[in-house]
Amino acid sequence: MRIAWWGLALLLCLQFPAAQAGDEERKLEAVFIGRFASYIEWPAKPRDRFVITLLDDNPFGSLLDDLYRDKRIHNKPIELRYATRLDQVGETDALFITLSSSAARAAAIDHAQRNGILTISEAKGFAESGGIIQLDFVEQKARIKINHAAALKSGLRIGAPLLSIATVLRGDKL
Amino acid sequence: MKPLHGTLLALAVAGQAAAADKAVKETNDYYQRPLEQLLRVETQAKAAVGSRGGARDALDAEVPIDIITAAQLQSTGQTELLRALAVLVPGFNAPRPSITDGTDHAPPFTLRGLNPDQVLVLVNGKRLHQSSLLHNNGTVGRGSSGVDLNTIPLRAIERVEVLRDGAAAQYGSDAIAGIINVILKGYGQHSQATVTYGRTGEGDGITRQATLFHSLPLAGDGFVNLSAEWRDRGATNRAGPDAGDGGRINAQFGDADTQDGLFALNAELPRGDATLYLHGLYNQRRSSAGAFYRTAGDARNIAAIYPDGFLPRIEPKILDFSATAGVRGVLDDGARWDLSYTHGHNDYHFYVNNSLNTSLGLATPTSFDSGATRYTQQILNADFSKKIGLHTVAGGYEFRQERYRIVKGDPASYMLGAADNFAYGAQGFPGFSPDNEVSASRRAHSLYGDLKYAISDHLMLDAAARAEHYSDFGSALNGKLALRYRATDDLLFRSSVSTGFRAPSLSQSHFSYTGTYRNSNDAAAQFWGNFAVDHPVARALGATDLKPEKSRHFTLGMVFQPSSQLTASADVFVTEIRDRILPTGYISAYSLSSLSPQAAAVLAQNNIDGAVYFTNAIATRTRGLDLRLDYCQELDNGARLKLVGAYQRSRTRITDVNQAPDVLGVNMTDLILDPFTKVLIEGSQPADAIKLWSKYSQGIYDAVLNLNRFGKFYSVSAYDRVSFAAKWTVDGEIAVRLKKDVTLALGGVNLLDVKPDKWGRTDDSLVGAGKVIQYSQYAPFGYNGAYYYVRVGVDF
Repeated sequence: MRIAWWGLALLLCLQFPAAQAGDEERKLEAVFIGRFASYIEWPAKPRDRFVITLLDDNPFGSLLDDLYRDKRIHNKPIELRYATRLDQVGETDALFITLSSSAARAAAIDHAQRNGILTISEAKGFAESGGIIQLDFVEQKARIKINHAAALKSGLRIGAPLLSIATVLRGDKL
Repeated sequence: MKPLHGTLLALAVAGQAAAADKAVKETNDYYQRPLEQLLRVETQAKAAVGSRGGARDALDAEVPIDIITAAQLQSTGQTELLRALAVLVPGFNAPRPSITDGTDHAPPFTLRGLNPDQVLVLVNGKRLHQSSLLHNNGTVGRGSSGVDLNTIPLRAIERVEVLRDGAAAQYGSDAIAGIINVILKGYGQHSQATVTYGRTGEGDGITRQATLFHSLPLAGDGFVNLSAEWRDRGATNRAGPDAGDGGRINAQFGDADTQDGLFALNAELPRGDATLYLHGLYNQRRSSAGAFYRTAGDARNIAAIYPDGFLPRIEPKILDFSATAGVRGVLDDGARWDLSYTHGHNDYHFYVNNSLNTSLGLATPTSFDSGATRYTQQILNADFSKKIGLHTVAGGYEFRQERYRIVKGDPASYMLGAADNFAYGAQGFPGFSPDNEVSASRRAHSLYGDLKYAISDHLMLDAAARAEHYSDFGSALNGKLALRYRATDDLLFRSSVSTGFRAPSLSQSHFSYTGTYRNSNDAAAQFWGNFAVDHPVARALGATDLKPEKSRHFTLGMVFQPSSQLTASADVFVTEIRDRILPTGYISAYSLSSLSPQAAAVLAQNNIDGAVYFTNAIATRTRGLDLRLDYCQELDNGARLKLVGAYQRSRTRITDVNQAPDVLGVNMTDLILDPFTKVLIEGSQPADAIKLWSKYSQGIYDAVLNLNRFGKFYSVSAYDRVSFAAKWTVDGEIAVRLKKDVTLALGGVNLLDVKPDKWGRTDDSLVGAGKVIQYSQYAPFGYNGAYYYVRVGVDF
């Protein structure tokens, strides 16, 4: 009987999903998504919720849901959506892209530009290839790279406080 | 439900809930901070070594890994990677050997009290070649060849990952004590130039170093990073008086006088889903150190040439380079692949100056080319990995080709002339003779696979296997099972069992270094020295082809991270190695009283006084404990405090002795395990070590304080074991940013000028209290005493 109880306890430990990703980089990334959005102005949209969509793998576990459950961006409650394919991405304000293929990322960027969506990714070369915000970690610190021209093309206006702390790509790298 | 069971369940549930609450609270805390502050948050370092599933931090690592950052390396004040790691990594031992021939100029290092060749060194995850030098004197690492870490420019390094576990099932030969993975600076780096000047408290050991690191960004976040370094480290001398020379100090016992030119390249060029990459290292070294002094009246001196005697100087020129070129990418389904080619080469060329060949009489030259050892390694590697849900499957193939050469010196460096029957060759370091020349090679094919299987969100199983076939000794199959149990978000339990091996190095199989003398003017020359295992004489004396050393490993540990600021870990380990390769003792009729008549006849028939060869000799067990604590705190005044504490204890014991060749008629203990060798293996390295590194940063100031405890060690004098007490040392550095991009640092290593215990009274003529050599070769922090430095760095 005692063994059964120990086994049950172990099973509970095994079955309870990890509530959060403990990784500090992930925590910061989760925070940055919403914080970036608060410095960006979208063309007026009739939605009553601010929608953040993750495209492809979800590396955050339940972290985003827990973090944004009681938050508001641009005075709207936040809705999180998870898509594994581009055609599953509906109307959204921000798209966090974890796709590993550059062609798939390019398609996502193209879709986002046509629909006024903020794109964020940690993929190398993301900003240069037309993504709006690239989030890197170099020597254990976050760095932000912004493609300003891509933002303008998507109809987004990025606030000065965000631009001032980022490496800003200008010109025609769309 | 019994109370205990209810409590257990409640604790399990509560533990999960508490961890989740903590993570949400920390993330919410980040959410409230200004963006600028978020960019200053320093995340935990991640390591890729030991896993084919990508980099992970301490709480995700299935094996213990230390991560040493570039900032930590720089803050040690050391100009060489070897010395910086000795300051920062517990269980990393790097004494300062002196008067040990080639070893003075490329000192060995060890992990966990094992041998230099039982550590695998990688650069950007690719195997780095070993030096061609075989440590052949009485130093730590005797009988082995290791990697020369000082060929890597310190400023080119982004971080060093030290995996403290056996990993031969993943990486192949040598990964027994652990792996050191040096990651070169990559994407997003700024350019930097530094100049450093330092000297010991006694005014010698003047070190001048100039470095330049330049990063050139390329399209698509590619980069070309170039590092160049010039390093001039002056000699130190802690020799005592020579009673046989009127009490004057005539020897040099200390660091060699060494000049290094170093160059490093690291480049990546992304193209779509593929990235071309290239990294390389180049090092040219000139070095000079003394042998023992030959006094005026010494039989090895020719007074007409050196009326006051002479100090032969061994002055090698060492060339070392490596390059890796490859391409890696990702397929549409997320599978990752990597193809690479690595070429590494080491040329250790011995020159001897201020010397003579006594046997050549007055016709002797005073400078000699004593020949060279060379080692070349080429590797073709193909890797793939794919994540399938929470699981990762990885595998690959590797082809490795090695070549080892011994090149003869000039004739005067090794010959026995007519003017003397005993003092042959260049005094200090007689050259390699034509008999010693060798060119040996081998090939190895390896297939390996790695499965990381998530049994649940909390329980991860890592299974790895690697099959290898070497053209010289045959095949090896090794495996590893590691279990990682994430009890809560704060707490990780981990354990691993694995097998491993170390292929006998080509230098151990083929090293040959013999000398000659005559018993009388009429007699034929007699030979003595080291014979390769395939030499007919060695064969006749029982030598066989060397087998690989085989190892078994067990680790059990835990990681506790109660907050993002604090991480603590504890790991115990056991490493068993059998068939460890050692040089035999001197096989001669007069040194081994029970030597068989048959063996004595072999020696006599071949005009050999005595012989040494390598053999698989003993089994050892190493047990130990690693404790580590990392703490980082952002203070209210904007300051940051970082603390890293580490304790390491390891103890190696000889557990078994192989049978000696029957032909010798002696047992292996008599043949190999003299007191010197036994103490070298079991006691010459500190049994424990404590490292306490701290850094306080505020505004334009950084202050670093570093406490080290080097544990007790043993050495041997006249067959008696002598103990040397543990010592504490203190290092410190103050750095101030004078302008935005200019930093001035002042610091000291071993500020309290602590020195190891000196030898006591001995019967030895050179080693002992008040004699030429006053300190043990094994002293883990050397015997230079305090060292002070100033460094200026400019970012651009």
